[in-house]
Amino acid sequence: MRELIKNIIFIVTIVSGLMADSQSVINIWHQMLYENRKALRDVCDEYEKINPDIKINLTYRETEELRSSYQAAAMGGSGPELVYGPSDQVGPFSVMEIIQPLDNLLPNIYFDQFVKNAIVESDQKKWMIGDVVGNHLMLIYNKDLITSPPKTTDELIMLGKQLTVDTDGDGKVDQYGLVWNFTEPFFYVPWLGGFGEWLLNEDNTPNLNTEGNIKGFEFIKSLRDRHKIIPQECDYEIANAMFKTGRAAMIINGDWSWGDYDGVVDFDIARLPKVSETGEWPSPLVSTKGYSVNVNTGGRKLEETLALLKYLTSSEVQLYFTRKLNTQPSSIKALQHPDVISNNILKKSSQIIEVGRPMPIVPEMRAIWDALRDQYQAVLGGTVSPDIAAAKAQENSIKQIKIMNEIISPGIQATAIKVIALFILIILSVIIIKRAPGLITDFNQNRIAYIFFMPALLAIISVVIFPFIYNVIISLSNYSLRTFNDWQLIGFYHYSRVFFDPQFYYVLMKTVLWTSINMFFHVSLGVSLAILINRTLPAKPILRTLLIIPWAIPQYIAALSWRGMFNQEYGSINLVLTKYFNIAAIEWLSQPFEAFAACILTNIWLGFPFMMVIALGGLQSIPKDLYDAAKVDGASRWQRLKSITLPMLKPVMIPAIVLGTVWTFNNINVMWLVSNGGEPSNQTHILVSFVYKAAFNLYRYGYAAALSMVIFLILLSFVLYFLRRTRATEGVY
Amino acid sequence: MNKKIEVVLIFLFLSLFCLATIYPVLNIVGVSLRTDNAFQTRSLSLFEFQEAYTDLNSNGSWDIGEQYIDANRNGRWDSGSSINSYVKLFLETDFLLWTWNSIVISFVVTITGVVFASTGGYALSRFKFRGREFGMIALLTTQMFPATMLLLPFFILLSYLGLINSYIGLIIIYSSTALPFCIWQMKGYYDTIPPSLEESARLDGCSRYQAFYKVILPLSGPALVITALFSFMASWSEYVVAAIILQDPKLYTLPLGLKSFQASLSTQWGLYAAGAVVVSIPVGILFISLSKFLVSGLTMGSVKE
Repeated sequence: MRELIKNIIFIVTIVSGLMADSQSVINIWHQMLYENRKALRDVCDEYEKINPDIKINLTYRETEELRSSYQAAAMGGSGPELVYGPSDQVGPFSVMEIIQPLDNLLPNIYFDQFVKNAIVESDQKKWMIGDVVGNHLMLIYNKDLITSPPKTTDELIMLGKQLTVDTDGDGKVDQYGLVWNFTEPFFYVPWLGGFGEWLLNEDNTPNLNTEGNIKGFEFIKSLRDRHKIIPQECDYEIANAMFKTGRAAMIINGDWSWGDYDGVVDFDIARLPKVSETGEWPSPLVSTKGYSVNVNTGGRKLEETLALLKYLTSSEVQLYFTRKLNTQPSSIKALQHPDVISNNILKKSSQIIEVGRPMPIVPEMRAIWDALRDQYQAVLGGTVSPDIAAAKAQENSIKQIKIMNEIISPGIQATAIKVIALFILIILSVIIIKRAPGLITDFNQNRIAYIFFMPALLAIISVVIFPFIYNVIISLSNYSLRTFNDWQLIGFYHYSRVFFDPQFYYVLMKTVLWTSINMFFHVSLGVSLAILINRTLPAKPILRTLLIIPWAIPQYIAALSWRGMFNQEYGSINLVLTKYFNIAAIEWLSQPFEAFAACILTNIWLGFPFMMVIALGGLQSIPKDLYDAAKVDGASRWQRLKSITLPMLKPVMIPAIVLGTVWTFNNINVMWLVSNGGEPSNQTHILVSFVYKAAFNLYRYGYAAALSMVIFLILLSFVLYFLRRTRATEGVY
Repeated sequence: MNKKIEVVLIFLFLSLFCLATIYPVLNIVGVSLRTDNAFQTRSLSLFEFQEAYTDLNSNGSWDIGEQYIDANRNGRWDSGSSINSYVKLFLETDFLLWTWNSIVISFVVTITGVVFASTGGYALSRFKFRGREFGMIALLTTQMFPATMLLLPFFILLSYLGLINSYIGLIIIYSSTALPFCIWQMKGYYDTIPPSLEESARLDGCSRYQAFYKVILPLSGPALVITALFSFMASWSEYVVAAIILQDPKLYTLPLGLKSFQASLSTQWGLYAAGAVVVSIPVGILFISLSKFLVSGLTMGSVKE
């Protein structure tokens, strides 16, 4: 108890300490890589030294998470003063009006000190000041293996074939000519430029159904299947690891990776090779990364924030980053500094940027990436031909953009809902008033029960009821990208959309399949292991402990480890399968069926110990004399299992099964992390991960809330039905 | 004789199964011991030895161009396994701070979980008060909300209350989300204790309160331990809620800290894996030392009234 009080005091002092600080605190949220974060901390420490009344808090978030948590924070009226990230986040942020235009905050001449593409504009307003320019893809090659980089794709293929070798003669390639994260569209689109097309038209509409796109698809496929110079399955981590360990001669990667290779590989950089067929250079996306100011920042804080912003984008700070991390500065003064001019890698890098294209910042890019990713991965998986895929990508992206930009105006339904809500409120209050006297007498009779249960109930209700009501309201509203700040109630539109969407039923079916397969294995494995282990065995406590371990490992750690194990060429599962069982390597993560199976395997591993422990507890509570009596009666072992063990386990297992079903149905962690957000082609989803994707990818908050409600209602009706049925059978016994 | 063979067979089978069970864990340990900051390898072994090399410039380390013996024939020099990642984890990152934060939060959540679950479960098990059935169903219902439904409202609720970036907000949410399961599980355990015990205690002059904490609580040891373990786990390894509430890196909990080693295109795998191993150890130890209670205490009450 004393410990508890001590801890509470400790926390209170921390919290009040933070509040009572006389210093002015400026928060920056960023998504800088590990090494860059250290440099940022250095320059901020420097600033704090000069300005002792300012304290700078740096918060790192992964790019996607930065985006969604900033949206939530800014909407709640808070959030950091400065947000740092790639230029494409300006698109949604400016449409949602959660960052401030900088035009009136800073004098016009101020912007002139930067190169043109470092100032990110949208709707003729300036929203972001970039401190680095780049983020572009290039060919990085290992100088130990290659003396001069390929200039054309023909040379690339020829060189790639020479360098793709099986050194130890075991029939497996040990060194690849080229690797890269080729399944991700960002790493594919430069080739679109090489084939003479671009993914957007002048007016920012998608332009995916083109000859160039079809040829691009075919080109990547031919590298893998015909020329065999790239691995079958290769995500970013694998490509990176292969290049770093000298098992790949070339890699296509961005400027951010230099720091990772420095001192590990003797490398140099070059443009992506010219496409031999067209004679054009592939055009990597070039973007800037920079700072935007939160819309909720005002008054004195705003002035302090702007002063800090000026410091962080100054040529001195940029040069510090350049010296440490080889970043390409955006300040014209910094660019003319001898340190930058004499920097060899930056010189080559700026030549690469010359053939690049600026990263489009319109929010519609989200829809285009998604549509392209689905179809591109389907082509690579061999399920769709390139021409159909290109047409479909175009069609889907237009459809998604339409959905994303849709604003539904409130109609008669909205009024009806308000009336219904009022009605429900009145009924509720009448019920409460009517019941109150009974409640008071009941309270006097069961005072202890109320005192005991109330704190828990209050806590649960406050944390659960509020979100629930909030969610109901959002699900009836037109809350989305375009109505971020002024959403209105519109009625059951999103619900009807959910029920009329064939994809909903497909994902629902998959979710049911996922839940039932998982539950089947959890329970059957759990119960049989429990029965096996519930006898005298050597080293029994150790065995039992080892079997419980998957339960003890945090899910996010386990899921990532399994993802690594499922890799086609380097994952230990395939290594064991091919080495000891002579089974051909399985494409676990790039085929829809296999990816789904991979997720299920992971979750079975995570889930069986719980059931085993419950079953063990149940087994130990079965009276021994029941078995003795059965033995006397001559019951066989099988009969004893069937007519004593299993029926006696049933009452213990049923609640566990109910809970397990609910948890599995809603388990977003495993599905999301093992399939990397639904890959391949956005197919590996259960309902929760599907909602997550809809909410955060396409800003369809209203739709996501409606779908969440549907999930909840499905589960509720299942549980109520299941409980009623099991209780009914109980009565029969 | 027959029986002996059977035991051996079962033992062998279970051992094999255990091996498959712990392999993913060993896999993480293997990554944490590697020096090339990479997740992928083609070898199945967890440990590698340093390969011999000729130190031409005698600087004590292998440099590009120096000769080496390629013992495992993978075409490059391997520096072998090392505990560098662990050293770096403790010395160069805020890992100890995160650990302390996590311990404080988990501790408070565990205490509140045990206090409220033991009393709440008792009320549900022994009293037929109004709203009891509603309470039971409400507890179960809370488990059905998809995470996507709760996140945004949590954030908005806490920012109205001014609890963003504070432990109090996090503790409230962790306790309340862990409570339903714990109450359920406590209620189930109380159901197995015959009410006659309290009745005789009351005949001996105990009040209802005294009967609860002098007679029933001491008998519920195993279930209390389980409740504590669950509350602890719920806060020790939770990431999503912590990520939206805690913004100051000084307040980070372990999962948040670990995640910060992960960037979308450049993950510090060595640090991440080493951190993962260290994070899992306390939970593992807890499970091992409590596994006796785990079996006897986790009698989840049936949902029947």
